[in-house]
Order: sequence, then C-alpha cells, then structure tokens
Amino acid sequence: MTTLQILVDGFAISSLYALAAVGFTLIFGVSGVLNLAHGGIMLVAALVGWWVAGSTPLGTYGGTLVGILAGLLTAYLTYFLVVRPIQRSTAIAQEEKEIFVLTGTLLWGIMIQTGMAFVFSDNPVTMRPLIRGVVDVFGVRTPRNEVMIAVLCWVVIGLLWLLINRTRAGKQMLAASINPRGLTLLGFDLSQIYFRVWTIYGVLAGLAGVLLASFLGVGTANAGQLTASAFSIVVLGGLGSVSGSLIAAYVVGYLETITAYLIAPTLRPIPALILLVLVVYLRPQGLLGRR
Amino acid sequence: MTRAFNRRLLIAGAIFVLVATVLPLWLSAYVLGVLTTAYYFGVFSMSWDLLFGFAGEVNFGPTFLIGLGAYTAALLDNAYHPPVVVCIAVGALAALVGGVLLALPALRLRGPYFGLVTLVAVLLLQNAIVIFARFTGGEIGMTVPDVMTIDPKLNYWYALAFFVVSAILLYGLSRSAVGLILQASGQDAVEAQALGFNVTKHKLAAFSVSALFSGVAGAMLVFYMGAASVGTIIDIGIGVQIIIGAVLGGRRTILGPAVGAIFLVVAAEVLRPLGQLNTFIVAGVALAVILFFPDGLLGHVLRPRENA
Amino acid sequence: MSALEARGLVKRYGGLVAVNDIGFDLRSGEILGLIGPNGSGKSTVMKLVMGIERPDAGSVKLDGVETVGWPSYRIARAGVGIVFQHSRPLHRQTVLENIKLALLPDSLLRLTAMAGVDDRAREIACAVGLSDVLHRHPATLPFADLRRMEMAKAIARDPKVVLIDEPFAGLTGTEVEAFSELIRDLRAQEHAVLLVDHNVKSVAALADRVLAMYLGQEVATGTVDEVMRNETVRRVYLGGTLEVAQRNGAAAQARPSLLRVEDVSVFYGKAQALERVDLHVGEGEFVSVVGLNGAGKTTLFNAISGLVPYAGTIAFGDRPLTGCTPASIARDGIVQCPESRQLFADMTVRENLDLGGQHLPADARAEQLAWLFELFPILESRQNQVARTLSGGEQQMLAIARALMMRPKLLILDEPTLGLAPVILEQLSKALERLRATTPITVLLGEQNVTFALPHADRVYLLEHSRVVWEGEPAEFAAVMGEGYL
Repeated sequence: MTTLQILVDGFAISSLYALAAVGFTLIFGVSGVLNLAHGGIMLVAALVGWWVAGSTPLGTYGGTLVGILAGLLTAYLTYFLVVRPIQRSTAIAQEEKEIFVLTGTLLWGIMIQTGMAFVFSDNPVTMRPLIRGVVDVFGVRTPRNEVMIAVLCWVVIGLLWLLINRTRAGKQMLAASINPRGLTLLGFDLSQIYFRVWTIYGVLAGLAGVLLASFLGVGTANAGQLTASAFSIVVLGGLGSVSGSLIAAYVVGYLETITAYLIAPTLRPIPALILLVLVVYLRPQGLLGRR
Repeated sequence: MTRAFNRRLLIAGAIFVLVATVLPLWLSAYVLGVLTTAYYFGVFSMSWDLLFGFAGEVNFGPTFLIGLGAYTAALLDNAYHPPVVVCIAVGALAALVGGVLLALPALRLRGPYFGLVTLVAVLLLQNAIVIFARFTGGEIGMTVPDVMTIDPKLNYWYALAFFVVSAILLYGLSRSAVGLILQASGQDAVEAQALGFNVTKHKLAAFSVSALFSGVAGAMLVFYMGAASVGTIIDIGIGVQIIIGAVLGGRRTILGPAVGAIFLVVAAEVLRPLGQLNTFIVAGVALAVILFFPDGLLGHVLRPRENA
Repeated sequence: MSALEARGLVKRYGGLVAVNDIGFDLRSGEILGLIGPNGSGKSTVMKLVMGIERPDAGSVKLDGVETVGWPSYRIARAGVGIVFQHSRPLHRQTVLENIKLALLPDSLLRLTAMAGVDDRAREIACAVGLSDVLHRHPATLPFADLRRMEMAKAIARDPKVVLIDEPFAGLTGTEVEAFSELIRDLRAQEHAVLLVDHNVKSVAALADRVLAMYLGQEVATGTVDEVMRNETVRRVYLGGTLEVAQRNGAAAQARPSLLRVEDVSVFYGKAQALERVDLHVGEGEFVSVVGLNGAGKTTLFNAISGLVPYAGTIAFGDRPLTGCTPASIARDGIVQCPESRQLFADMTVRENLDLGGQHLPADARAEQLAWLFELFPILESRQNQVARTLSGGEQQMLAIARALMMRPKLLILDEPTLGLAPVILEQLSKALERLRATTPITVLLGEQNVTFALPHADRVYLLEHSRVVWEGEPAEFAAVMGEGYL
C-alpha cells in the first residue's frame, strides 16, 4: 500500500521538480547563467497567484494566470537588471563574469525573498486547488489536483520539446546552446534569442511556482531551498542537458518521497544532498552533461 | 608598492587602532556590542578575501569553516569544560581539518563547481546540526557554560585585539613573497606552474590559513555571545553577508573586506528597526556595488594604480 | 650529451593525432627552429616538453633524465623556461615584481624574498632592455616590452633550455630585429633554444637547424638551407607547382565595387594585427588574399564581418559598415565561413543547413538545398549524420554549404584547406570552380596554400606581417613571388 502511495506521490512531486529544473537548465544551456534567483521567481509567482486568487474576484484560475505573469515579469527583471548589465560590463574581467553573475543573482534572489516577506509576511501559503476532489489511482486515493499537476507538467514539457525540436525558433535556441558565434555568422541576433529563452524560462518558473503553491504550499523561507533543489537536480542530470534534468528530477523526487515516508519527513532533503556531493566528486559533469 | 603608500597605510592603521581602543570610554554597551560582532565579521571577510582575492577560489560557504570552529568549541566546552582557550584552539583545529578535507578534492574542480561544493558543504553541516539536535540544540541552538568575560568593554578589546592581529598577519601574508606566489597561482595557474610553483600546494595552504582564522574567529564569537545556533553562525545568509562585505570593501585588498564587513554589520544594525526590509536594502546596495563599482568602495584606494 | 632529447613523441586529442612520432636533439648553444603551417602540432610539441600536456607515447630527456610524467613546475625547476605565445603578466604587480616572482623558490614559508633577489631581478631586466620601466605596471607597457618581460621571466633562473613560442607575432620589423638579437644572446650564453614561429623568414635567419612539421609529423630536418629547399616543405607551404588559369584582367576594372576596405588598422590590445590595409573587391570577382598564418587574414575578415573593432572605413556597395552588428552584416549579404568553421557540432548536417536557410522563404530554401546537394553530393548522403562525426573535409564542405544557404552576395572563405588531404582539396577546388561558373557570387578567399588560391582568382593580394605588400594578377604573382614566398 505504501509502495503505491510512494509511487504516486513521488511521481507528482517529481513532475513538478522536473518542470522547475528544466527551466533552470534551459537558462544555463542557452544563456550560460546559473540563476540563483530561481527560487525567488517561483516564490513571486506563487505568492502573487495566491493573493489574486484569494483577494480578488479573479478566483483560482485568474490567480494562476496572474501568478505566471508575475513570474515572467520577475524573470525579465532578473535578466535586464542583473544578468545582462553584468555580462555587458566592461569593468569586469571576462573570467570573472560567471562568478559575478552568480553573486548578482544570489543577491537579487535575497532581495526578492525579503521583499516578498515584507509584503506578504513569512507565513507559508497554500493556494486552493484548481480541481477539487479525489480520484483513485492504482488503488491510492489521490487528490485530483495532484493528478492534474502531474499531467500539466508533462504537457508543458512535451510542448517545450516540440518547441525546441520542431520550430525554427527552437532550433535557434538549441544552436545558441551549442555555438553562439555560429549563429551570429548566420545572421541571427543573439539578443533576440536570449529574450525568447528568458520568456520561456519565466513562464516555466512561474507555472512551477503556482503549481507548487497549490500542491505543497510555499513560503518565503522556501525560496532558498527551491533554488538549491533545482540546482542539485540540474547538476545531477548534467548542466545544460534537458533530458538529464528530467531523469535527475525523478531520481531526486523519488529519493525525497521515499525518505519522507520511510525514514522521517524532516530528513527529506538529505539523500539528494549526499547524492549531489558524490556526483560532484566522482562525475562532475553529471549523468548526461556536456559542459 | 611604493614606500609612500606603505607609510600612509601605516599611519592610517595606527590612527584607527588608537581611536578604536579609546572608544569604549564614551560608547554605550549596546554600540560596543555591535562593534565587537563587527570586528569578528571583519576577520571572516579578510579570511575569505585571502582565498578569493589571492588564491582565486570563490568560497560560497565560508560559514562551513566558521561553523566547524564554533560548534566544536561549544560542544567541547559543554562536554568537558576545559579552559576557553583550549576550546578555541580545538575549534580552530577542527576548522583546519575540515577545510583541508574539503579543499583536497574540491581544488580539482573548475571555478563554479568549486563554489558549488562549498555551498553543499554548508548545507550538509546545517542539516547535520539539525539531525543531531540532541547534542547541538538543532535550530534553537546551544549555549556554552563559559564565556570569555561579561564585561562589554573587555569583550570589545578582545575582539579588537584579535581583529588587529589578524589584519596584520593576513595583510602581511598577502604582501609577502608567499602572497605573491599565491596571487600568481590564483590569477594564472599555468604560468605559475611554468615558473616552477606547485599551485595545488599553495592553494591548499591558502585554504588552510583561511580555515584557521575563520575557525578561531567563529569559536571566539561563540564565547562572546555565549550561544551558537544555525541562524547566527551557519546560515547561508551569514555567508552571503561575509561575501558582500568583501565585495563591497574591495576584493583582493584584505583590508577592504575588513572595512566592508564592519560597515555592513553596523549598517544592518542601524537599519534593524525596518525589520525584514534591512536585508533587502543591504542586498540591494551590494547588488548596486557589483553593477557599478565592481572593484568595491576601497578597491581603487587600496590597490596601486593599474592604469597610470 | 644533448641538453634536450625528444624521441617518438605522440599526442592524441580524441581521434585527432596532433603529434605523431616527433623526435629531435637540442644542444647547448644552439637554436632549433620548429616550423609548419597552422595545425601542424608545433605548439603541442612545446607543451609536451614543458609538461603542460602529457604525451601518449615517447620520451623527453633533460640532460639525460626522463621528464615525461613530471608536473610542469618540476620540469621548470629542473631547468626549462618557456615564453608563451600570449603574454601572461601579473597585472597588479610592477615589472620588477613580476621578474622577482620568477626568482622565488617554491616554498610556503618564505615571507620575504632572499637578499640578492632584488639585485638579480634588476640585472635580468637590464639584460632584456626593461631598465626604464621597472616600476610600471603591465597595463601601461607597450606590446614589445611585455614580450621582453615574458623573456625575462623565462630566463630568470638561468635554465638550460629555453622554449619560445611565436616571439615575433605582433611585433614591428625593428622590434623583430631587436628580439632576434636577444635570442642570439641566449645562444651565445650557451642556452639551448627551441623556437616556434609562423614567420618563417625570421626563424630561418636565427636558427642553426630547422625541423619542419606538417599534420603532426616531421617532414624535413637539417640546416636552414637544406630544409627551405626541400621539395615536401615547399609543397606544404606553397601547395605544389603554381598553376594559373587564364583570367580576363581588364574586365576587373569595369566591375562595380562591392567591397571597399580603406586604411583599416586593427589592434588586439597592444598588438597591431592589421596595419593600414587597402583592399577592394568588385562584383562577381574572385579575390584571393594570400599569406602565412599570423599575417592578418583572419583579422581582416573579422573586421569586414564586424566581429572586431577597427580604424578606417569598410564599405559594402555604397554603404559604410561602421556601427552595423555582425548579424546584420551577415543578413545584408556578407557571409563568412571562418577558419574554425563554427559548425553546430551536435546537430545533424541537415539541421546545420536548415539554420543557414532560415532567412529564406520555404520554396527558396528547398531550391537552394537541392542545388547545394548537387554541388556537394556527399552532404546529401550524410544529411542525417551529426556534424561532429564527419571527417575534416566533409565538415569543411558543410561549413561552405551552410554559408551558401544564405545566398550571400559576398562569400568570405578563411583557410578552407587547413588540415585537409590533397584529394579533398581537389573536390573543393572543383566545387569552387562550379560556383564561379554558374552563379554571380563574389568570393574573397584567404589562404596560405598558394596553389589552391591562385587558379580561381581574378586578383591576388599578398598579406605579410599585418600589411598588404603586393597586389596584382595571379600570373604576375606566380612569376614574382614563387621564389621569395618562403
């Protein structure tokens, strides 16, 4: 009985992790940025969505949409206020740019976290589920919402796959992650491509944030942990590899669920951390990483 | 470095020590307390800068080393009640051992991965402390039965003395022959090797020195506050504060980070009435510094003019 | 006994054999020159000797002691100094401090330098001509002085063997002479010197013996005269007997100007990569820019494509290109196929080509693709293969085809024959011929391989050491330059 429960619950949480991680990996692969404000973007989406759903006549669906938009806006702010100015700065040496971007996004993430805490207070919030009721999955009573979330995550991931592999814009983004100079030589404006990637990222992170709010609940204290989780998953799967992130998301998601059910809920994040340490020492490029 | 610059620095340093030593005669215990903490953070940031500015390695988890020193000293004191000095020494040793164990494999990794490992180390330590809450007091923290002294003036002077000695030692190291080799190792490892220097050995040494100073400072901080907890010693936020202080003050100058850290602690205290917003403002200021003054506030002053 | 003895050195990078069975003796008081086109493995040999890379096979003996497998700092302490191709100063230290660093022992405990280090550092600085700039910082020094400082660091501890990688790159004629004097002094002081440079003439003037490499292998070794007259060496550099197809020179004047480069100079930091270059290409012309590596061809093309800043004017048609982004220049019709090809290695042949054609409407794209498959049939048969797995020649064809997918008005080809076997050169040559015959395309070709560059060209420019030293028709070039090129 518990095994099935673990399988089902683990699947849902892993799907959500997958969605969050894929965005993170996309931004790293194409834009070269390890965005430590990732959790912050998800947080903004979650909190704004919750507030709109609860305090305005737009309701849960409206709240979800507005939340995603808020996430998108925050992603744009991250790119135009923090990342791009550092990347273009002539005062910083080329070799140091990576580290400065990392520190910059870290600071920006902290600003988001404390800013949100100021506006919304520290208490974790849960959004009301989009679909109510329970359904029977392999004999496990599961909230319909949870099923919907898992399905939605996979639909979005599938759309993303189609976008990258079947559309012209997608091929450009893929090419940008392999060889940006090649694209310039072929007459493509890299700034346009980067803008598109950050847009997609904003939507992905926003959606992940809102869904997380309705599934597990989100609070300002979570922001750091969310970034850390996404980071671990992406490193495990291999920085820059979308399929690697997907696989790693499920590994981490199930590890955490198993730990929570069979050992203790408080020890949830531990196995993933240990796994991360092992990976970084034994195989730094992760499962399927390129760089 | 010209003689004139060194003389000016010496004079400025002497004035600072003089003024700082007599301050307790006028200031309240509260202000002295803030400054005491600020001096310890000054040492944290200086140790960080030795590693970053000179060995070229970004340590995203300085609180790993600090926490090892602090908690080892606290646990020892609670268990066996040896003299405070012994606790601090053992704490420093723990930090040193932990630092070397972390650095040995980590130095093989490239820049961002090295930073990542240091971040993970902090998370692991944090979780370990929470898991073994029975001994460590977990999230709430633990107290130590002994403190260095209750007198705020004495505490202040202890911290000041430690800060000044550390500054002299670390700054001296950075300007010494070893410091020069370290800079070369951090800036251009291939060239340093081609000139005959074992870069790994030197970076490991830098890490050890950084660990030692961080460990002592962390242990002393515990015996000053009389308590240790995740939130005050280990939290990633503390680590970020240390890094921000260093960047604010001017990396690669040792003294810049000291000033930056002190400024940050004082500013955070001044802004405390604003609540959560104080972290927001501090992070915002630091971000602005990174964007517009990547060399920090004192970077230009403390470094020789490179574009004469 | 030789100061340095190398035998059977082999180094592989994945499937590429960069160094294949190289061996040589280097004696004290001797200068050995290592020459060869780009990609021949010269720099890799230096790295193997210095311990920066580990050879897959072979041995390196320093004074009879095997050093393969030693970390580079140990080899340095044993008596090898290296002057890298690109200067690597410590920016926050003065010249004197940089040199002092080279004199320090590898000790963790030394807080102050030993007495005498300061004096010795000054001595060395004077010997290389840096006595006036001891207290300046590297950012303020002229390029030639930076190179002198590199030399000072390398010889500071009086090493038995000195390795010098591309000492003359970026130096003016007089500076080359001064530097050559320094290197001659090294020889007089009984150091053993291994010299690598593209500037074959300068190396020839300095070296006692020369080893010529091509594609990782030794092609000839002996005295300077012997090697320079060696048939294989000449073929490697010149590409064989100079053939020239008949071109109608008069027509060139009548053509409207498509590209006009006027008084263009490019600096990389302090190094002058291009000095007041004038060049023009008429519509429908095929112009070859000939010159050895390091002469400035790539820099010139990068300036035209907007990838590097330059002084002077470049006009395309009647519009100046200043201020245009590289992407817009490519879209407007100047498409470059660079030396490094810049393929999307993890994507298939077809995907690479499709990306090239994305600016075209669907039917034009299909038409262009079909035409290119006809021009390069091998690409059609390999269209679903990942670009990384193609051979060198196939990759080059893909790069050219991808550039052609953009229907360029001006196609710039930078060193397309680099590292390719003669049989592939044949195919490329035929493809270029067909291109010329069937389309109104204008081509600017940069090549070291003169045999490849001449037959198609309407006009030829000779670029040497960042300046245009000759311009004219291919037939004249063959007559005038054949002997003096090397």
